[in-house]
This record gives sequence, C-alpha cells and structure tokens, in this order.
Amino acid sequence: MEKSIEDIWKEGFLKSDALVAPKINNLYSQKSIHIIDKFKRMFKINLIAIVAFSFIFLLITYFNGMLITGIIFFVVLSVLVIINKRLLNDLEKIDKGASSYQYLKTFNDWIKKQVSINERFSRFMYPIIFLSIIMGWWFIDAEGIPLGERLVGEVLYGFPDIYLIQGVPLISIIIIVLIVGLLALFGDRIYKWDLNLVYGRVFKKLEELMADIEELKK
Amino acid sequence: MSSDFYQTSILPFSGIIIKLCRAYSNSQEDFEDYFQEVCLQIWRSKDNFREESQWSTWVYRISLNVCLTLLKKKKSKGHHFVSDSLTAEETEDNYAFSDESLNLLYDAIRQLSEIDRAIIMLYLEEKPYQEIAEIIGTNPNNIGVRVKRIKTRLKKILDGKIY
Repeated sequence: MEKSIEDIWKEGFLKSDALVAPKINNLYSQKSIHIIDKFKRMFKINLIAIVAFSFIFLLITYFNGMLITGIIFFVVLSVLVIINKRLLNDLEKIDKGASSYQYLKTFNDWIKKQVSINERFSRFMYPIIFLSIIMGWWFIDAEGIPLGERLVGEVLYGFPDIYLIQGVPLISIIIIVLIVGLLALFGDRIYKWDLNLVYGRVFKKLEELMADIEELKK
Repeated sequence: MSSDFYQTSILPFSGIIIKLCRAYSNSQEDFEDYFQEVCLQIWRSKDNFREESQWSTWVYRISLNVCLTLLKKKKSKGHHFVSDSLTAEETEDNYAFSDESLNLLYDAIRQLSEIDRAIIMLYLEEKPYQEIAEIIGTNPNNIGVRVKRIKTRLKKILDGKIY
C-alpha cells in the first residue's frame, strides 16, 4: 500500500539525522566573503569604466578641438586608475581563510587607506580637471584665433578699461583661482560624496556586519 | 547574537527552520547560507516582535521571508538552477537525507511553487490552518483547499515511487 505523505514526513525525520542545525560559530564567514567580493567586482567595473571613459573622452575632444582637455583628462585618470589598480592588488592579497572579523577588519583598514590616498589625490585631480576644461575651451579654434582671445577682444570692446594680466582679464583670473582653490579645499569631500554614491550601500552593510560581529564577540 | 538567545529562541524551532531552508535550497552550501541568514534575521528582528502572535509564528514567518528573499536574489543573479520549482536532477547528490522516501518527497516539494512549499511544510508540521494563514499572510479559509490541492499534486508527482 502506498504511504501517505504525512507518514513519509514523520517517519523520514524520525529515521534521519538531518535535523542537526549547522554550526553557527562562523556565522559571518560567507557573508563577509560575499560583501567583499561584491565590493571588488564593483571596484573593478569602476576602474574599467574610468579607462573606457578617458579613451572615449580623448576621442571626443580630438574631434571638437579641445584635445588639450582630453589629454589632461586621460593622463589624470590614468594615474588614478594605476594608483587604484595597485590598491586593488593589495586587496586581493587579504587572507580569506582568516576569521570573518579579521577578514572584515583587514578589509576595513584597506578601505581607510584607499580612501585616504584617493582623498589626497582628489585635491589635485579636481582642480587640474577644471583647469584642463578652461584651457581646452580657451584654445578652441574660433575662425583662426583661440576662442579665449576672441572673447577677451569682445569684452574689451565693451569694457575698454578692464585690467589685463598677460592678455587675460584680472577678474577671470581671480574667479578661476577661487574655483581652483575651492576644488583643492573640497576635493576630498567631493571624492567622499562620489564614493558614497557608488559604494554607500556596501559600506553600510559592512558597518552593520562589523557591529553585529562585535556584539557577538561580547 | 548571544548564545543564550540562540539556545532559547532559535534552537527549539531549528527543526522547522532546517526543513524550510532545505525546501528552498539545493546544495549543502546553499542550505547553510539560508540557515545562517534566517538565524541572523530572527536575532536582528527580535526587538520588533510585539507579542501579537506566538514567537513560533514570528520565527516561521521570518524564516519564510528570508528563504523567499534569498531565492529571489539568487534568481536575479541568474543562477540557472534556481527557479520556481527545482527538479530532482538539479539538487546535488551529497545533499540528501538518509531516508530515500523523504528524499523523494523533498524533491517533489521542491517542484511546487514557493508559497505552496511553505504551506505544505507547515501543514506537515501539524500547524493549524489559522497559524499557517498568519505566517503566509492569507485567509485561513483558503488554506484547507490549497493543502488538498497541493497533496493531490504531490501524490501525482510521487505516483508509484514510494510504497
């Protein structure tokens, strides 16, 4: 006679040792590996995207006459990618076999180092990028003469008494210097904002995980 | 999570948690992931328990939610083997019970829809329809009919395989 499913269920579990709960002393091991793997994947994609962007931007600027901007962008972003690729190599060396807490802690230390290096770099990167845009724009060909010079000529026509330094209105220089100063001052904050935009959720999970493990250790 | 909490609030219900996790996973590794995540979520949500239902109902509900969420995540990551129903061939060989009939029953249960899997397991655990409905979040009147339909489907799948 065929057994009912109720009997199969009851008898099966009576005979079976399948109801032994898995050990949970390494509860966070898989979670830690997952979260860090996810970060690594995102980080690699981000670096590839920067490389792709710098090439595409170089091409675009070649065709629209702002090649100087494209070259500076390309150089600055290449340095950024090289620095971060080296950091990524260090990340790959972290021992997954260590305890979850140790693994997360080492990763957290790596993040701090990575953020600190990139913050310092950003203080230079954003002002350079801004200046490259200004320079690119200044040297765009406008019927045989650079666009910047042409515009200065037109400004001088309206305001003949404007003060110039090396053919550039003093007021423009002041504004540019001010913006460069602000970008240098807040470059690290812009970087942090950008970082949180991309990796904010991963960092939040990491924090929660560390807090859980710390509570667990108490 | 303190050892006390685990001993008093999770371990007494570990049987059904294990059974549920088994029904939604298809390898030992997956199962351990599911089980750990369930334990974690029960611990994290313990402060949200308002004693409007029994603690066991709360535990089952969280277990089910976690299993369904993880299943959805795995589906969205494109794990080809995770579908609404898992076939017997897709489960790993080493992921089996010592009782062959129970393995066949589990394989059949894995072929049901996500919610039907939960309903039949809670039924097999002899939970009253009212509690099953509370856990699933549906009307208790529907549960009886649904259980009958699921049992018929399981019998059809198992037809002639178990004596």
